[in-house]
Amino acid sequence: MTVEGAPTIEAVVGELARLFRTWGAGAERRPKRRQSPEGTEPVDPFGTEFHGDASAFTDEAFDRLARRIHRVQFRSNPVLRRFWGERARDVASWEDIPPVPTAAFKEVPIVTGTSEAVFCTSGTSEGPRRRGEHHVGSLDLYWAAAQQNYRRHLLKNSGSVRVVSLIPHPDSVPSSSLAAMAGFISREPEVLGTAWIFSEARGVDAAAFRKAATADREPILLLATAFALVQLLETLKGEEIRLPEGSRLMETGGFKGRVAEVAREGLYRRIRNRLGVSESHVVNEYGMTELLSQAYDGEAGTAPPLSGRKHHFPPWVRTRALDPASLAPLPPGVPGLLAHYDLANAASVCHVLTEDLGETTEDGGFRLAGRAAGAELRGCSLAAESFLREVRKPLSER
Amino acid sequence: MKAMNKGSATRRAGGQGGFLDGWLWPRQLPPPASFREVRAGDLRVRYPNPSPGFAASLVSSLGKAGRRLSARRIDDVIAVLGSVGEAFPLDMDDNDFREISANAGLSMAMTRTVVNGMARSWTRDALAGLVRAEFPEPRVLDGFVAGGGGGGGGRRVAASGRGLTFHIGAGSVPGVTVMSMIRALLVKSAVLAKPGAGDVALAVRFARALRGVDSSMGEAVAVQYWPGGSPEWDAWERSVLGRVDRAVVYGSNTTIESVRARAPASTRLVEHPHRLGVAVVGPESPSASARPAAEAVALFDQKGCVSTHIFFFLGGKRRALRWCQKLANRLAELDRDLPPTEPQPGDLSDLHQFRGRLTMKGAASGGLEVWSSDGFGWTVVLASLEDVTPVGGRLAWVVPVASQEACLDALASLSPALQTVGLAGLPPVGEGFVRALFGLGASRVVPLTRVPFPGADWLHDGSRPLGELVRWCEVL
Repeated sequence: MTVEGAPTIEAVVGELARLFRTWGAGAERRPKRRQSPEGTEPVDPFGTEFHGDASAFTDEAFDRLARRIHRVQFRSNPVLRRFWGERARDVASWEDIPPVPTAAFKEVPIVTGTSEAVFCTSGTSEGPRRRGEHHVGSLDLYWAAAQQNYRRHLLKNSGSVRVVSLIPHPDSVPSSSLAAMAGFISREPEVLGTAWIFSEARGVDAAAFRKAATADREPILLLATAFALVQLLETLKGEEIRLPEGSRLMETGGFKGRVAEVAREGLYRRIRNRLGVSESHVVNEYGMTELLSQAYDGEAGTAPPLSGRKHHFPPWVRTRALDPASLAPLPPGVPGLLAHYDLANAASVCHVLTEDLGETTEDGGFRLAGRAAGAELRGCSLAAESFLREVRKPLSER
Repeated sequence: MKAMNKGSATRRAGGQGGFLDGWLWPRQLPPPASFREVRAGDLRVRYPNPSPGFAASLVSSLGKAGRRLSARRIDDVIAVLGSVGEAFPLDMDDNDFREISANAGLSMAMTRTVVNGMARSWTRDALAGLVRAEFPEPRVLDGFVAGGGGGGGGRRVAASGRGLTFHIGAGSVPGVTVMSMIRALLVKSAVLAKPGAGDVALAVRFARALRGVDSSMGEAVAVQYWPGGSPEWDAWERSVLGRVDRAVVYGSNTTIESVRARAPASTRLVEHPHRLGVAVVGPESPSASARPAAEAVALFDQKGCVSTHIFFFLGGKRRALRWCQKLANRLAELDRDLPPTEPQPGDLSDLHQFRGRLTMKGAASGGLEVWSSDGFGWTVVLASLEDVTPVGGRLAWVVPVASQEACLDALASLSPALQTVGLAGLPPVGEGFVRALFGLGASRVVPLTRVPFPGADWLHDGSRPLGELVRWCEVL
């Protein structure tokens, strides 16, 4: 299990999965400490800090765990070692570990150990060749990171539900982390069945939605990207289809770039008027291919008004807003570039710098302020997008 | 000579910047009834919101003034424009430069350097040289002169740019619109200029100054900003394009194709699409070549069509590495002496993403090295050509090549957008190499020191800038 006395990444991943599943669980579900075959030293790769309810992720404990994972990544992953440089070998705090920008996922496989799956970001103006790839060491760890979180935010006190998914079936888009998560949700014990009514090729199947929405009286859990929701509402035109009482909706900003930014206030109003799902039952999921954990802005059924919402990750993720120029951390309430340290990314890289602008809150949450779009290169000089379109493309077509 | 009109177009609106009037119409037209605003740099640009029907009045007014202009002698036109151009930087104080700087989003030091550099092409001598370069007998612009050539000894020819030239500027490089306006006026055409949002201040200031020096010629010039290509301005743009004699378009291929699609066949189009500048650098005197290389990167913050994005270094990777360090050192000095544009959070985000992406690639492959300032300032990347993507800001790509032949092979892939090729650190370059560059699309091959500021008579995108604006007539 160990290399030179230190845990392997596989051991770390396995232990994290067990740990994440204890979040919110009672003592009876807490993992037992296990002994090495020799019975002389603990196999637990983290030492002894994390036994029991993972809500005990104090800042101090998180830091110890983060630095231990960092040491494993630094030792096991030569690409990350070179990216960080020698000065990152021993860090005083997880905050000293340089974040890896999401764009770096477009260049090389960032994987510590071996990967079970590869999730890809959606296409960009640079085309499919420039999609980011997140090499996932363990799908079980992804499931563990997602499960307690979506159960808490989507299924709490729900009773039995039927899932209607405007997210494609995971078998049809195996490279989509979002589709994989929808697949996890569909297997929860509360779920009576799942109607998959969206395909990338054909979009939303409105007839299937009508049928699924009105087939029974059990509440529906509607999973959707904002893009697909807008498409559904437009396909239905003025039609009102009231979902059963107690229905819930998770929307997320998937498929970036395929639809104009949708104002959430307007979207939620349309959802209430057309589908009969009130704002308190609609929650936003913040996730990205490069992170295995997700953040939610409320619990479906009791979500606060939109204006007062903030996102929270599970306790194994820390979020900071960084000064856009210096990347120095900013205090709560001051907007900056968001960076997340997600322990679930142990098999790739934990510290990820996003292109999202936002501010942190005193309680460890964050408020999104949109995407930090750079100013277009204005002038007579060839900009990146044009370069790729007008120079690279003709070259590839020759 | 009349005193230059120094009235500032900017209305100061208190501590948080002011707004700039992005228009100047002929005096006899009624004043605008309503306005809109757009953010450009640190200023708000206010522009009239005229109806498409107003285009007819504007064009008619400019047309009348243009007819008066066409009766002027070329020497007189050069003298007026040259006097305005010469007075331009001299008469501008800190507030004037500050306004241009705020509008373009350039630092003050950069703004001064750019405006002074551009204005060197606006003097009487420079403009007279430009006219002579294209019309060895300048009086051909005043009337018929002996033309020689075929058709017998009695052939006489004349050239005229009469009518109205519509300029569609691009972006935020101050002076591009003014140079374009001057070219049209030199061939005695009236001018309707739509500057890029970041080039409004200088364009309006020039038009106002011209009106102050020569009101008759000034009445042949109108400036009007609007957000080009937006659906709500489509009817206005079509109306203008249908009434002018020619349109000079700067911008992306998308912009140019959009204008092409809407301009009638009778409107002549002169197109200046976005371009890519490169340099070929040899190993001789690396310190001496790093200095102009850094300036070619820093000036205009890589927004100019002449800006150098890619340096092909002849001399092996080890020497290229050392040269990159020298280039980085010089860029660091310019970071202080010629500060870059104040970045927005999105620009900084893009830069972090870009640098991180490259650093990760270098960590994985080992074939890529990155030097950069701590902040937004500058980035030097030693890479192969397939990695190159110009993303803006002071970014220099250095691509080692083994030979001139290998350099030409690499340049072939950039052919569709190639314009200026700077040369430095090389032994005297043979005619064959220059001809090969020309064959690949280069329209300007110059020492690296001369890259940022072409002369007034440069062959802009491979064409004669005045020649494209005139029609000839021969009389036998």
